[in-house]
Amino acid sequence: MAEKLKVPINPSISSGEQTVWADVSSLLQFTCKELRDGELIHGENFNLFAAMSALEIMDPKMDSGIVCRYYSVDEAIENGAAPVPLSMDRTVDVQCTIDIMDHLLACEATWHKGHSLAQTVFSCIYLLRPDITASHALLHSYCKVIRATCNAVVSVVSDARTHEEEDLFTMTYGLPLKGDGDEKCLSLLHAVEETISRQLRACKAPLSKKRAVEDIEPLQTNPDLEEGYCKALLCRIRFRKHFNHVLTSMKRAQGRGLELARKHIASCLSELECILKSLEFLMSNACGTCGDGIGDKTTASGCQPIGFDATLNCRLSAPTPPRAIKILSWKKAVEYFQKLLHDLDIICSYSLDPLLEGVLRFVVEFQKFKPDLVARAHLQLLLVQDGKLYGRDPIFAVISKAAALPEVSKNHDIQKNEVLVQLGQLVISLLKIICTNAAWQRRKLGKILQDWRVIYIQLELSFRKEFGEISSTSIDENLCMKISKHILVWVEEQTYWIASRFLVLGFELELYSPGEYCMVYWYIYVVCIKLAEKTHLKMLTSNETGKRKGKKKKDAVKDLAKDYQIPPIVLLLQCHIYLAEGLTMMLAALRNEHKVFPSAGQFNTEHERFIQHFELLQKASIPDHISYLSFKESTTHARLSTLVTHNCFKDAQKIAKELRNSFSHDPERMAELRRIEQVAEHNGVALNLISQLGTLDPSLKVYFEFIHHPYFATAVVKRS
Amino acid sequence: METKTNEEERVTTVEELEGSEIEYLSYGGEHHLPLIMRLVDEELSEPYSIFTYRYFVYLWPQLSFLAFHRGKCVGTVVCKMGEHRNTFRGYIAMLVVLKPYRGRGIATELVTRSIKVMMESGCEEVTLEAEVTNKGALALYGRLGFIRAKRLFRYYLNGVDAFRLKLLFPRPEFQSSLHMMADRNENHGQKDIIPPEERSLLEESF
Repeated sequence: MAEKLKVPINPSISSGEQTVWADVSSLLQFTCKELRDGELIHGENFNLFAAMSALEIMDPKMDSGIVCRYYSVDEAIENGAAPVPLSMDRTVDVQCTIDIMDHLLACEATWHKGHSLAQTVFSCIYLLRPDITASHALLHSYCKVIRATCNAVVSVVSDARTHEEEDLFTMTYGLPLKGDGDEKCLSLLHAVEETISRQLRACKAPLSKKRAVEDIEPLQTNPDLEEGYCKALLCRIRFRKHFNHVLTSMKRAQGRGLELARKHIASCLSELECILKSLEFLMSNACGTCGDGIGDKTTASGCQPIGFDATLNCRLSAPTPPRAIKILSWKKAVEYFQKLLHDLDIICSYSLDPLLEGVLRFVVEFQKFKPDLVARAHLQLLLVQDGKLYGRDPIFAVISKAAALPEVSKNHDIQKNEVLVQLGQLVISLLKIICTNAAWQRRKLGKILQDWRVIYIQLELSFRKEFGEISSTSIDENLCMKISKHILVWVEEQTYWIASRFLVLGFELELYSPGEYCMVYWYIYVVCIKLAEKTHLKMLTSNETGKRKGKKKKDAVKDLAKDYQIPPIVLLLQCHIYLAEGLTMMLAALRNEHKVFPSAGQFNTEHERFIQHFELLQKASIPDHISYLSFKESTTHARLSTLVTHNCFKDAQKIAKELRNSFSHDPERMAELRRIEQVAEHNGVALNLISQLGTLDPSLKVYFEFIHHPYFATAVVKRS
Repeated sequence: METKTNEEERVTTVEELEGSEIEYLSYGGEHHLPLIMRLVDEELSEPYSIFTYRYFVYLWPQLSFLAFHRGKCVGTVVCKMGEHRNTFRGYIAMLVVLKPYRGRGIATELVTRSIKVMMESGCEEVTLEAEVTNKGALALYGRLGFIRAKRLFRYYLNGVDAFRLKLLFPRPEFQSSLHMMADRNENHGQKDIIPPEERSLLEESF
């Protein structure tokens, strides 16, 4: 039908790539008689995205327009949706103001949890029209501080910028995020706080003193409720004040405001306690019947707040058809802020470790608490400012320290080496990546593995070239050799660290099914061996250098004896190696002898699954010469009987016990040792049990659970 | 997109039906479209415009299948395939089986038919997204050989994460090395090493 008509193309109107504007009115006129319901005319570039973006008008699932109550904010205000004052009755006015504050807190938490600002906080008409609250000092100052806070949080998250989640979070769609004079919000809020504290003092004063303070007008009209409402308002206002201070203190360069931020965090937490305590009072004095129980209500009183309409903004929302979203309950919102503040407190109490290894460990430990976007964005901004660690330590200095370069190299020309500058960039992007959510983090880590592999080769080449030139003319040769050796070992160690983190995150994200555990543990095993090897080598080389500093002969002999002991860090890795090996072999033996977790699918084999899971590692040759064949070779002969005599779990348990003394000062590593001991012990017992009973008893069921360690599974044996 | 099936759970509202009672048809034209739309509309949360359905069934009618029980459409699968970053890849967009008919292998049969056509058409892999909470679908695809390649943070509009599932078809260049392995370890791990073409023949004969 379409090809019968010539469509006049108009080249004078600019258009996108490979597209032109055309006048289709004649085409439409011709076809509208023929077209039936549900048919469409489309160009060749009509794709899935276009099809999915199409809306069916008047379908309530898609047409956001038909669910709007008001056409515009102005219409809503004209219809009395956001009155000022909220009520002529001053008691009711206070009650309603508190409801707005509570609902805004719930909206803010919902926004932090990943919904759009437009559909959450800015569903509040009072925020959308800053001018209408001018006559209501309390509401006015509160709205100002909310806008300022949202603004501060948006800027932190958009500055951090590596987050996938950020898309929706920082979209502000032309919302009035910056009202006139919002920067003065704290002084306005302070004035309101002062007034209410005086009102509170006045109502609490004994009768004899009443006269002296009589000139203070009470907050509202019911003397019995004065104290309760003053208190309920004060903790809400103070929370906002301190929270605002937390954000500004944390923003200060080089972590200079962290100590102050901690004080405000403590205040925020205690105000949140007071807010929670106000629940009973607010519920019992709620105006009218507001339903029973707090349940999933968004206010402490349980009442619907005045002045909110989420549908007003729905045309401003995401490009997909907007859905109605569920605002978190008031209780959940308070819990969210408590969690956020605790997470921020962990960041603020961090010692700004100058050693990269310490930084990485801190972030990994921090991520165990599953912090949300806002906390992670703050951490990232603290770690990387102006391309420096904490905005303080130049990246080359950080690398020198991490790779234990000799002191003199700090001022060495080597840091101008182009490849080393690139290495610095890789370190910065690594720091940013490990601050993102686990799903995103794993994908990014997988991708940068290749970069770390490539930079190793580039460094090797570049050092060879550069030092080749130097060696003939200068006495620097020895130093340069040392620098290159140290950096190369360190880069390899780092690469294997990233690889092991990539593999381990797969457990947290539940990407592995039990049938795949065997190959995953095998891969963790081979990667950990390399990691331990490189870590050990790095420590040996740095010891060598350290010793040269004119020590006496006697000490040198002592040190030599020390060197023969394997460092505790390496032994800890050895525990992981044993656990991974033990699990690999136990899983392989179970499959070989008991047909547990058969891996047959109709369309492919275990080989394809291996390729898919480890594609990124294989591409980067991490480790070298490792393939599906080597996995098969090391597991096809696994038998339970041989595993019992050579029990890796026992070895892991033994080393973990011995390591206790070395890590007695380090609670995190002590906890890890305990987890290792537990998982090793249970698996050792399970292994014995299966090998004794297994062949006799077909009703025995073996499955794996993560009850003792986050990524080393515990075998559970049960009769079915 | 989405999948709503539950192979794990057995619902007993419909009397036990023989496998033969379910009839499977390839997408046959406009008259099938309302049946597919009704099923998806009823069971899946995301709203799709009619253009989305047409996009799939017009371009790849051979990849869409419907399951009928005594003339009633009780399940459907809608797919596409095409070039994606230098790989020819199949994509399972929607898979639905009505609640009372779940747990009877209908979804497995539907999706298996689509995957077979994709494989015959030269696809190198098949992908789809499934909610992390949809245990039934995850188990179904796991049995078919899909792995969970990625977790997509808050993928669905309801805030739930998704897994990107992927099924890689065997590539001819890998086969030779596998045969070498098979020769070397004749007594061990046979099951993995039989080329899939032969294995599916074996399974069908049982």
